[in-house]
Amino acid sequence: MDFSHTAERISQKITSHGHSVEKSGIEAKLKRLVEEFGVPPAEAERTVLNEFAREYDIPGFQGSGGGGAGDQKALSLLANGEWVTVECKVVALTAAPSPSIAQTGIVADESAAVRFVVWSRANAPVLEEGKWYRLESAVVDQYKGMLNLKVHSGTTIREVSHEGTLKPTITPIKDLAPGVACIRGKVVQEWEATHDRILQSGMFADETGAIRFVIWKEEGRERLNTGGIYTIYYATVDDFNGRLSLTLNTATTVPEEGDIEVNTGNSLFEGAFVHLSPGSGLVRRCPVEGCNRVLSRQNYCPVHEIQPNYHYDLRIKGWLDNGEETREVLIQRGETEGLVGMSLDQAKELAENNPLGMDEVFLRFREALLGRYLSCRGREIDNRLLVSSCELLHYTPDQLADLLNRAGGSL
Amino acid sequence: MTNGNAKGMPGRRDGVFEREPARRVFAQELRESRVHFREGQDEKSPTFVLLPTGARCNRVFFAGTLTEKKKQGEQNMFYRARVVDPTGTFFVMAGSYQPEAMQQIARLEPPCFVAVVGKPNVYQTPDGAVLISIRCESITQVDKDIRDEWVLDCARATLDRIEKSAGTPDGDRARREYTIDPGLFRKMVYEALAQLKI
Repeated sequence: MDFSHTAERISQKITSHGHSVEKSGIEAKLKRLVEEFGVPPAEAERTVLNEFAREYDIPGFQGSGGGGAGDQKALSLLANGEWVTVECKVVALTAAPSPSIAQTGIVADESAAVRFVVWSRANAPVLEEGKWYRLESAVVDQYKGMLNLKVHSGTTIREVSHEGTLKPTITPIKDLAPGVACIRGKVVQEWEATHDRILQSGMFADETGAIRFVIWKEEGRERLNTGGIYTIYYATVDDFNGRLSLTLNTATTVPEEGDIEVNTGNSLFEGAFVHLSPGSGLVRRCPVEGCNRVLSRQNYCPVHEIQPNYHYDLRIKGWLDNGEETREVLIQRGETEGLVGMSLDQAKELAENNPLGMDEVFLRFREALLGRYLSCRGREIDNRLLVSSCELLHYTPDQLADLLNRAGGSL
Repeated sequence: MTNGNAKGMPGRRDGVFEREPARRVFAQELRESRVHFREGQDEKSPTFVLLPTGARCNRVFFAGTLTEKKKQGEQNMFYRARVVDPTGTFFVMAGSYQPEAMQQIARLEPPCFVAVVGKPNVYQTPDGAVLISIRCESITQVDKDIRDEWVLDCARATLDRIEKSAGTPDGDRARREYTIDPGLFRKMVYEALAQLKI
């Protein structure tokens, strides 16, 4: 790799401040950083320049390396590792999670929105929500698939005036990717908070799909109404263990009139039932309003501890397999009773009158289900199918002739 | 900002647990398999048997007739069972590491129709013969209806492999490793189907 151009650039900058440096020395430093330590060239330039700036006590251009500011770009075109200049509006500010961060939030332009971070060390002017700024030489990086705009000491910030209003584009839930997005939909479920810091969590759906959401406790944050329709501007879409979820703390939520047809899920999966998971059969559920978690053998709820006044339920958790793909299926009581031919009352009676208790119900379920072909419909989240209707498939000879023809075609 | 998608399956993301699918394979084809390999370096990485029709197979699902079961061993007791499909015999094993499957076999009375989920293993006997046995995860009694349904399912899956595996990495590997033309398994499929009633 040739460092002479970069070295020349650094050398000129230093020279312009009245100091002289050996170009070959600069080149050697760059080369060492890039080739020996795997530092990206832009970062190496910055490092070397900073080193000289400190050495000669030159204020002002720390960090302004990186091959210049880069061209002005639309936010939708940002890519990881770039130095960019953007014009954008601050659409949300959030509490800085650490003292080394001065401000965090979301900036947007006509094309997209992206999270930004202003380092405390950047000594940048305080950005105000709702105003447009031109950020020169900001750095784009990526964390968990989400792009971030970093404002550091080399970034110049200028407030600019902007004509017209910013119209955010609404993204269908099925097309969401990690980053920042605006969506319109309905709160279809609310879940019990699993952590002290959670204000609300649940499921948000539109015509195309559903996604879990969370609101962390924060001053001025309000809960959403279950069943309510909202337009959510600038929510953060995270990827956690391969599952997407929405964090609404950065977002502006606007209640909407009317109702929308949410995607209740109508995925179909057919296959053989190959595994019945523990926790299937007769289960005891936590009686606390809105909890309904399955209790352990000692009637222990992970959130509400010992609950002697549980209620019984039937369910199936297991795996369907079509030979190419697998789906974990969750089947609730209504469909379960039909599939295994056992009602909740029969299951309770069986458990009470049998030395194995609830395990006996599990064993009966296993004998009734394993190896059977099922057709299940329901809402699919990741690899999991929340079954709303299902049936056993039976041998029908009408495919036989076709298959015989396929097999015998070239005999 | 694309989702990592190593296996190229639509709509799947990294990090979501994916259970290895159970392949549908007739006894005769499984018996011709020789190549057993491990994907990845880890001791716990899954192992696969390469089927001659060109697909890797970590798990199998089949339905057939349990014709024989035998208890063996004193301290390390285990069951051996034979399950027959229209093309041949599967050798099924359940040992103390598969306690549930062992209890299931213990209750079965041959002959009866069973559905089996298990993992194939390749063994070489001292005299050089290669044996494939299935370590059983579950074995349940079913009726003839399910057996017939499985024959259709397996026939369809086998024909799909014969017709579509060429050009895929596993398909090409199978054609290199095995001298058998996958097309020959059409005859096996035809004969299996011919035993079903229209």
